[in-house]
Amino acid sequence: MLDPVLPNQGTNKPTPSTNKPFSPEDETALREALKRCSPSAFESAVQFRKTGNAEHVPAVVIGVIERFVEPDLRIKLKDADDDLRLIEDLGIDSLTMMEIVILVEDVLQMTINNDELRNLRTVGDVKTFIDCKIRGLVLPKPTKFIPIEHIGAVMPVQPPFLFLNEASVSSTAANGKYKITGQEFFLQGHFKDNPVMPASIMLEALGQLAVLYLLEGAPTEPGKVVSPQSIFFTGCEGVRAHRICKPGEILSLSIKPKRMKMPLATFEGAIRVGQEKAVIAEEITLTFLIVDAANAPVSINGSSEHAGNQGGAAVAPATGVPPLRVAMNATG
Amino acid sequence: MPRVFITGLGFVTSIGNDAATVTRNLRELRHGFEVFPPFQKPEIPVKVIGTIKDFATNSPDPEDWTFPAGYKIKRELLRTMAPNGLFAQCAMLQAVADARLTEPDISNAHTGLYAASGGSPYLLHYHNDRLNKVGVMRCSPLGIVASIAGTLNFNLIAAFKIQGSSCGFSSACASSAHAFGFALDDLQLGRQKRMFVVGAEDGNLDAILPFAGMRTLSLQTDPNLASRPFDAARDGFVGTGGGVALVLETEAEVVRRGVTPYAEVLGWGQASDGWNVAISHPEGSGSAAAMTLALRASGVAPEQVDYVNAHATSTLIGDISEARALRSVFQDSALRPAVSSTKALTGHGLSLAGVMESAFCALAIREGFIPGNAHLTKLDPECAGINILRTTENTPPKIVVKNSSGFGGANVALVFKRVA
Repeated sequence: MLDPVLPNQGTNKPTPSTNKPFSPEDETALREALKRCSPSAFESAVQFRKTGNAEHVPAVVIGVIERFVEPDLRIKLKDADDDLRLIEDLGIDSLTMMEIVILVEDVLQMTINNDELRNLRTVGDVKTFIDCKIRGLVLPKPTKFIPIEHIGAVMPVQPPFLFLNEASVSSTAANGKYKITGQEFFLQGHFKDNPVMPASIMLEALGQLAVLYLLEGAPTEPGKVVSPQSIFFTGCEGVRAHRICKPGEILSLSIKPKRMKMPLATFEGAIRVGQEKAVIAEEITLTFLIVDAANAPVSINGSSEHAGNQGGAAVAPATGVPPLRVAMNATG
Repeated sequence: MPRVFITGLGFVTSIGNDAATVTRNLRELRHGFEVFPPFQKPEIPVKVIGTIKDFATNSPDPEDWTFPAGYKIKRELLRTMAPNGLFAQCAMLQAVADARLTEPDISNAHTGLYAASGGSPYLLHYHNDRLNKVGVMRCSPLGIVASIAGTLNFNLIAAFKIQGSSCGFSSACASSAHAFGFALDDLQLGRQKRMFVVGAEDGNLDAILPFAGMRTLSLQTDPNLASRPFDAARDGFVGTGGGVALVLETEAEVVRRGVTPYAEVLGWGQASDGWNVAISHPEGSGSAAAMTLALRASGVAPEQVDYVNAHATSTLIGDISEARALRSVFQDSALRPAVSSTKALTGHGLSLAGVMESAFCALAIREGFIPGNAHLTKLDPECAGINILRTTENTPPKIVVKNSSGFGGANVALVFKRVA
């Protein structure tokens, strides 16, 4: 887990009402508000309200989510990992999400803005979000899906040596997919009449996903970006191949940052085919540099899109002019 | 023009929560009134309503409500419902089963739903109160769709995945009769093959008590005397809630599905008094015009009508003007047609009234009886000259007219016919 780069700005702290002592009336109101939640959710809420200890928050949040999930789906929450999706797996629509938020706001005495909600897709997103709010930490960037066009636009490496078809990146991890087509030029010789994806290329694919993480997911200060031209491979540890991979198979790649301090970033990585382990890398280390966004070179396809500057990026030359100003100038 | 038939009914009413109970109570003239606990305070002079039995909806949180175990309603649906939404949902489930409709019959481009309710003053009040108390961004995200006028159609369209015409109607006590009329238009014009017509009201303190301000509610404390349409001693209407759903289908659909309809719907008419916001025209001009137009559209002469289910709510002015309208349309015939107001049994269902009483007519036509006008001891002389039935007649009516009137002087008449 990365430490947030930004200092605590204080804007996400719980509302000051938590400063008041927790009264018997508060407990009665809390019991009423959580009357359809599990007893453990209520107990955790009481503990949080009494002590302010954020350790109790996940149990409250899970208890509130559980209360709004149809009974036959609640079993999924019992052993839920953080990747359990709110909409697809739990059937929670945006209105139910509002119900959850309002109840959480009520019992934890906090305020959540509309725009903070849009990116909460998984149970893990919700837990992290509430945890950051309670501790007054800066919210992590939400998981974003990156299609092939965008990957091509931001990556320094390009076809035929780009081994990512799609990817999703959050501040704590990146996942990607690559389908071995059989048309890759190196498969003609690797091996003779027996195309097998080279393990070194699979390690390269993991490295490329780590590059994408640095460009799209790594937390940076406002006005700063990771320079795409600065990223290079430096080393790897504990790399093992468990399975040969052949044309037609889809590689599911995942990396997680372990340490990140300019100029070195270290990741752990894994590749699976379906449920089968294909490659494990205990450590992949890259070098990188953080530069001012204004000085960041325009990326290869002429787009200056990079982390922290979506939206107006397509029209904004990389001059440091805020997108709104550019847009205003553009319309005269 | 396609012929249109009533093929399914569903009831949650003060006189029964299924067609068999409702039929028995209509025949035997058993009312659904009770002393209403929330009214039992010295400062509330109104005491009686038509209560909905086996449902408890006296909480702003639908998950607190109780209703008969046979109805399975997911929280996802329940959370956006007002009490009238719950009543209507249950009535819809009955009507769907009664008409033997399958899911593909319900959810398609040729099946629509028109609904009428006054919204939920109870929940509107509750949610606006919360807004003031806990803050604008912390009031329920579902409060609006659960409470404003239109909540009924929003909920039913979503719950039953309706893909055809849909709309809510708001003409106060003529609302669901209007919904019925326009649903008939959609079918006769070939726009739809099947229409649900639904009416529902909360029927609780917040929905009923505001009528006390205009002195239209009966102050009777005895449930047996409270609602007395056309009686000289009547002193206002008795409020009620509930939900009624009715299925209309074209002849082609009736034949295709092989179902036995309750009755044929011949036509409808509407006309307005052009008179007063809340007081009906003293001569019942709008009501008479609506009946005349409905009969003309149906190709029926006044003397062919066997039974009129009157709007008569047991108010002083309203019953007289309807009696005058009836006399003018049926040419002072003291013999025909038979007239009764079933509000003597149910109370006044406001937006629900038109479709509820149309469904009563459908039951009467199929079961072969004409319900009497209960609680009529001494006929108001102003209402003389029409054949008001005092007891139930066991003769099947062939042609039936249903009257409805609402605030603003809106009047609707519907005409039904016994099938062969």
